[in-house]
Amino acid sequence: MREDVFIACSDLSIGYPERSTVATVVKSGLTLRALKGEMVALIGGNGVGKSTLLKTIAGFQPPLSGEILIHHRPSSSYSSAELAKELSFVSTEMVRVPNLSVSELVGLGRFPYTNWLGQLNEIDKEFITNAICQVGLSGYEKRKVGKISDGERQRAMVARALAQDTPILVLDEPTAFLDISNKYEIVGILHKLAVEQGKCILFSTHDLNTALSIADRIWLMLDDRVVEGIPEELVSNGSLEALFPNNQHLYFDKEKGDFRIRKEKKGKVYLNASGKELIKATKALDRIGFEVITKEAVPNASLSVGPMASQTMSHPAVTSDFQLKEIYAVQHEKRWILSYSGIMIEIDSLEALCRELKGIMHQRES
Amino acid sequence: MKSKKRDALGLILLTVVLALFFVLDLLSGSVAISLSQSISTLFHPSSADPSIASILFQFRIPKALTALFAGAALSVAGLQMQTIFRNPIAGPDILGISSGASLGVALFVLSAGWIFKGSLLFSVAGSWGIVLAAWLGAGCMMLLIILLASRLRDLMTVLILGILISSAILAFVSVLQYFSSESSLKSFIVWTMGSLGSTTRDQLWVLIPSVLAGLLVAMLSAKFLDAFLLGENYARSMGMNLRLAYLLTFASTSVLAGSITAFCGPIGFVGIIVPHLARKFFHTSLHGRLIPVTMLLGGVVMLVGDLVSQLPGYETTLPINSVTSMLGIPIVIWIIVQNKKLGSL
Repeated sequence: MREDVFIACSDLSIGYPERSTVATVVKSGLTLRALKGEMVALIGGNGVGKSTLLKTIAGFQPPLSGEILIHHRPSSSYSSAELAKELSFVSTEMVRVPNLSVSELVGLGRFPYTNWLGQLNEIDKEFITNAICQVGLSGYEKRKVGKISDGERQRAMVARALAQDTPILVLDEPTAFLDISNKYEIVGILHKLAVEQGKCILFSTHDLNTALSIADRIWLMLDDRVVEGIPEELVSNGSLEALFPNNQHLYFDKEKGDFRIRKEKKGKVYLNASGKELIKATKALDRIGFEVITKEAVPNASLSVGPMASQTMSHPAVTSDFQLKEIYAVQHEKRWILSYSGIMIEIDSLEALCRELKGIMHQRES
Repeated sequence: MKSKKRDALGLILLTVVLALFFVLDLLSGSVAISLSQSISTLFHPSSADPSIASILFQFRIPKALTALFAGAALSVAGLQMQTIFRNPIAGPDILGISSGASLGVALFVLSAGWIFKGSLLFSVAGSWGIVLAAWLGAGCMMLLIILLASRLRDLMTVLILGILISSAILAFVSVLQYFSSESSLKSFIVWTMGSLGSTTRDQLWVLIPSVLAGLLVAMLSAKFLDAFLLGENYARSMGMNLRLAYLLTFASTSVLAGSITAFCGPIGFVGIIVPHLARKFFHTSLHGRLIPVTMLLGGVVMLVGDLVSQLPGYETTLPINSVTSMLGIPIVIWIIVQNKKLGSL
């Protein structure tokens, strides 16, 4: 079966033509695809040319060289009116037209289909109602765009693109100004459109987590090349690590599929805890800069026969394999027992434990 | 639909108000003419008092018509510019169309005064000459703006260049004034003050058709203007022919603003304020509805301006440009203060 390729870029160069012979090439040699029913996330650092690529695909600026195929047809062969029925666009800028109602805004999406006066017929109205319903804004039709929240406005902008009734939606950072709840709402709507209606959705984002967990395909723009593939492939082959190659503060966590802040580990703590307390404590100690070695990782599992076993507050060093210079933290119900350098103290909260550990670190450094 | 009914009602109401102010404008002036007098004069001109007939037909009706069409034309031109430039304080005067016209008039009046030295030819050619010169000036400025707009993609830059160019032109006009004779300087200054009353009946035959043509083109481009509300990129993504849209709106704007500036001199602020009032009262930004409202409201505002300029009870008339500026600037300030948070198209 032939793949249903909705967007195909072959050997594409994008950038800004200058009046002189030298053009500002943003990226060249791009070969990318987006298929029917796919959510494609475009990822890249600031200024790497994401917007330029989206604008070139949307037909706002011509490619410097190479070709973009929309439905197997060169996009340059489409008239702007034809292209408007294949591809709709949602830009990153906030629309500020307070006197426009939601249904009027969505109605603008019918532009390619209405007559010269812009009058809406029954079919147009049905599309508008459907689009508003799909983004969950039913009941908001008469509300003014200036008087709804940023998240609602962004959903209205997506509805406008839906009303344009195109198989391809291109969105430039649709979640840029939104809080987490609104962000997932938008992403969820887009995902549903791709799955249920087979639309091809191309969006740029800085939210790697969302992109990796929901996109079917990633276009990864790096400084020197562009990599395309399914998220898992890009994670495992190390492409994502190249996203911020020169940043000393970040590293890519392959298991979690996200960038994390790199912290110099100041020391290690042997941790003996269970359940929620274990998860919480691991995160907290990692955050304040300790390498955590959980019970299982301790040789001979000696911590399990630490102070807990006897219920006496004896020094853990009495058990074999304990070393005085190491730090041990043992959970005892809601409390913690901290043992280091031959001292053992009882601490009644995780917060206090962190404080204590920071203090130890400080001592050792000075 | 409810809103449609309310719109229709609003339009009818606005038309009635417009008619009311039109009649009021006919009745007011230094010579008192009663309503019954003017009605009998209008319907039986042959049997009426010839002096009253002459005042009505030669002065008041042309003046009221001029006010009506000037208001409509400037307001619709302002509306188009605010939408195209996505700037709530854009208007014909800001983009330099008025100053382009000023340059034309200044060149004509000041140089013609020099060449003809008060000869008879000048006084005959004068009124039409000023009109032609203003038209040419406005048209050249508009062409320049179109040229800039097609070269520079960023409309904000075009707006700023428009302001700069118009400042440069006004500076040049000041230089011209400095070197001109007293009499030609006076006729130029009088023109810059603006006047609704100097349009003759013959000139109305040119003014009204040009304004109607401009308004028609504006109506035809309503759909384009709607798409422009979201910005150029959105407009393009919806398949709009940008060149055609710019051509239509710029042509319409320059015909509307150019004609009025040519016949009446520069009249400030009407073009900025009226679109805002229209949006405020009718709660819409869609041009299919906004343009008719703006037209009618513009007529009302200009008639009110004319009534105020006649200073009821006094013999003299204030220059209309000063009146619209004095009435208009507080409203523009109010618009700007209100829009601190949101642009408002």
